[in-house]
Amino acid sequence: MTEDFAAKMARVITEYSTRVQPGDFVVIAGSVVAEPLLDALYRAVLRRGGHPHPLLAPANTREIFFQEANEEQLTFINPVGRMVYETADVRIDIEAPVNPNNLGAIDPARIGQHRAAHSEVIQTMIGRIGDGSLRWCGLSWPSQAAAMQMGIGYQAYREFLYRACNFHLADPVAHWQGVKEEQTRLVELLNGKSEVQVRGPGIDLSFSLAGRTWVHASGELNFPDGEIFTGPVEDSVNGTVAFNMRSIYEGQEVRGVRLTYQDGRIVEASAEKGEAFLLAQLDIDEGARRMGEFAIGTNYGIDQVTGFIGLDEKIGGTIHMAIGASLPDTGGLNQSAVHWDMVHDMRDGGEIIIDGEAVYREGKFLIS
Amino acid sequence: MYEDFAPRLARILTEYSVPIREGELVIIEAPLVAEPLAVALYEAVLRCGAHPVIRTNFDLASNIFMKYATDAQLEYVTPMNEVMIDQMDVRYYIKAATNTKAATNVDPARITTFQKARKHIIERYKERENAGEIRWNICAWPTQAAAQEAEMSLLDYTEFVYKACGLDHEDPVAYWQEFKERQERYIGWLAGKETVEVRGPGIDLSMSVKGRTWINACGDANFPDGEIFTSPVEDSVNGTVEFNYPTNYGGRRIEGVRLVYRDGKVVEASAAKGEDYLLSQLDFDEGSRILGEFAIGTNWGIQQFTGDTLFDEKIGGTVHMAVGRGFHEAGSQNMSAVHWDMVHGMTEGGEIIVDGETMYKNGKFLIDEETTK
Repeated sequence: MTEDFAAKMARVITEYSTRVQPGDFVVIAGSVVAEPLLDALYRAVLRRGGHPHPLLAPANTREIFFQEANEEQLTFINPVGRMVYETADVRIDIEAPVNPNNLGAIDPARIGQHRAAHSEVIQTMIGRIGDGSLRWCGLSWPSQAAAMQMGIGYQAYREFLYRACNFHLADPVAHWQGVKEEQTRLVELLNGKSEVQVRGPGIDLSFSLAGRTWVHASGELNFPDGEIFTGPVEDSVNGTVAFNMRSIYEGQEVRGVRLTYQDGRIVEASAEKGEAFLLAQLDIDEGARRMGEFAIGTNYGIDQVTGFIGLDEKIGGTIHMAIGASLPDTGGLNQSAVHWDMVHDMRDGGEIIIDGEAVYREGKFLIS
Repeated sequence: MYEDFAPRLARILTEYSVPIREGELVIIEAPLVAEPLAVALYEAVLRCGAHPVIRTNFDLASNIFMKYATDAQLEYVTPMNEVMIDQMDVRYYIKAATNTKAATNVDPARITTFQKARKHIIERYKERENAGEIRWNICAWPTQAAAQEAEMSLLDYTEFVYKACGLDHEDPVAYWQEFKERQERYIGWLAGKETVEVRGPGIDLSMSVKGRTWINACGDANFPDGEIFTSPVEDSVNGTVEFNYPTNYGGRRIEGVRLVYRDGKVVEASAAKGEDYLLSQLDFDEGSRILGEFAIGTNWGIQQFTGDTLFDEKIGGTVHMAVGRGFHEAGSQNMSAVHWDMVHGMTEGGEIIVDGETMYKNGKFLIDEETTK
C-alpha cells in the first residue's frame, strides 16, 4: 500500500516544496535508515536537471563526536558544512531517527557550545532562506525508532505517515498546491482583523492581533505540514487554557498543563505530570511567560497523536500555542530561549471568534 | 570499541553455555540485525567440528505475516520446522529487537491461533529437551531498538550488555565457571530447607519451598545470566509486595505493582500505571494468580533497569517473582499461559530468612565465605 512512498515523496519535495531547477546545487542530508528515500530524491533531482549531493549521516558519529571532541574540535567549523550553507540552492533534511536517545547521555553544555560556535553558519542559512536564495525543506521519513516512540510497529507507522503526507490521494502535488492556495486565501481573509476569542471545553482566551500577520505553512519548509500561525500582541493575552493533549518538550513528557494569562503574562501554571519541568521552563527568562505563537493545525490526514510535536501541531481540528519566542514573519516581538508548542483539540465544541465573527467551530473553518 | 564482542561472546556460548560436540546439528536463529553475532557463532560452531545452520528471521516479514495471513496460513506449519525440531541437537536463539512495540497492534486472537497450530511442535521440542536431546541458549545482542527501550544510546547500551555478559573480564569463560561454582554453593546450602521469609522496604512475604529444587541459572540457558530460582509450594505464599522496579510484559510497561497473597493466591492487586492490564493477566487462567517462581538475581554487572526482563531479573541485589506458570524442573505443579516476572530491589534493607537463619541481607548473600570476603 505504501510501496510508492519514496517516489511520491521525492516528486512532491522536488516539484512542489523546493521546486528544483536545472543547474541547482541540491544537498540531500539523511541517516542510513533513509536510504530508499535518498535514492529516490537523488534520481528526481537528476531528472529535473539539478546537481544532487547526498550527505549520509552514520548512526553513531554525532554521539562519538560529542564524547571525544576536545574544546578546539568542539567549536571547529567544518568548511565543507559551511560551504553547503553558503552555496547550496536547495537543502533537503530528512528526519528519520535511528535512536532518539543517542545524545541523551551527553552534557547539554557541550552541545550548546558546539551550537554557539555555529551561530554564524546558522545565521547564514536563515538569511538565505529569508531572501529566497536557499530553498530548505525538513521532512519526516518513517523509521523503526519513530514507530517505537509512538508505540507501534513499523508498517503501521509508515501507513500513518503516508496518510499524513496525503499520498493516499491520486495527485499529491495537486493536493499540496490546493492546500497552499486555500491557506493563502485564509490568511488574506484573517490578516487585518484583530480581536480574537478562543472558547470551548478547557479554553477561554482572548488576545489582540493588531499589526500582526498570519503566515501559512503548506509543505514548503516542513513536510508533512498544515497550519496557519501568527504572534499575538505580547501584553494582550488574557484567560485560561487547560490543554487536553500531552506535550513533549526537550524529551520531557508533560500532561494536563493549565495556564492562566493576565495582560500577556502567565500568572498561574500547573500540570498533572511534569509540573516541576513546566515551571522551570517558564522561569528560564521573562519571555518564556508570554505567548509567542498562536496557530491552527489544518492537516486532516493526521488522525493519531504521535508524541512528535512537528506532526501533532498539524493535526486538523487542533490549535497550538507556544510559550516563549515568537516567529519572525508574524511581526511578533517576544524573545526567549524557549519555544514550546502545546496542542489543544478543538473538535469537541471549540470555537474561534475574530472581530465578533465565528471563523472556526468544532475543528473546521467557517470561512474560506 | 568492543570489536571483540561477537567473537568473545561466541566463544563463551560454544565452550561454556552449550559446549558443542563434533557432528552436532546446531541451529542459529537470528534476526538480520544480529548478523555480526550470528556469523561469529557460525564460525565458532564450525571450528568445533559441528554443523551450523543459520536461520534468519526478518522482523518486517513476521509483522506482515501476522497482519495479512489468513487463518489457514496462520495454522500452516512448514515441514522444515518439523524436520528441524526432530533433528537438531542445539538451538541458539539471538534476541535482537528492531522495534520493541512491533507486536502491540497484533490481534491477540491471531497470536493464539498461530500458537495453537504449533502446539505439537512445542510438545515435541519439550519432550526432546527433557530427554536431554536438545540443548539451547537464548542470548542478547545490542541493537538501536533495545537501546531506545532502555533510554540509552547504542554505544552506551553496547557497553552495558558487554559488561552484563562479563566480557570485560580477562578470561570470561573462567569468570562464568567461577560464577557457576559460587551459585552451586548457595544451592547446596539451600537444599532441603523449607521456609523462606522475605522482608524489607515494600516486601513482607513468607512461603514454603519444601520438597522443591533450587536451580542454578549461570549462563547455560540464558546469556547474560545470573540468578538462582525455585517454584514455591503453590498454596504456601502469604504477605504483600510492592515492587519498586517497573515491569515490562507483553510490550507494555507497568509501574507500582502491589500484590497481596493469601494461601498462595493473589487476593488483592493494584498498579500505579497499567492496572487494567495487570488485572487482565491475573484473571487469564486458573494458574495466573499463583506464584510460579521465586528467584534471586546475582549479576552485579547489571546495575541498570532496561525494560528487558532478560537483563532486569538478573540485576545483582534484586529478587524477582513470577505470577503464573511454575518450573517443572523445580517441582512445580502450577500451569498457566502467563509467566510474568516482577523485580524488587533488596539493597536498601531487604533480607531473606530461611528456616530462621538470615541468609541474605542488603542484596548480598551472608552464607558463603567466598562471596562475603
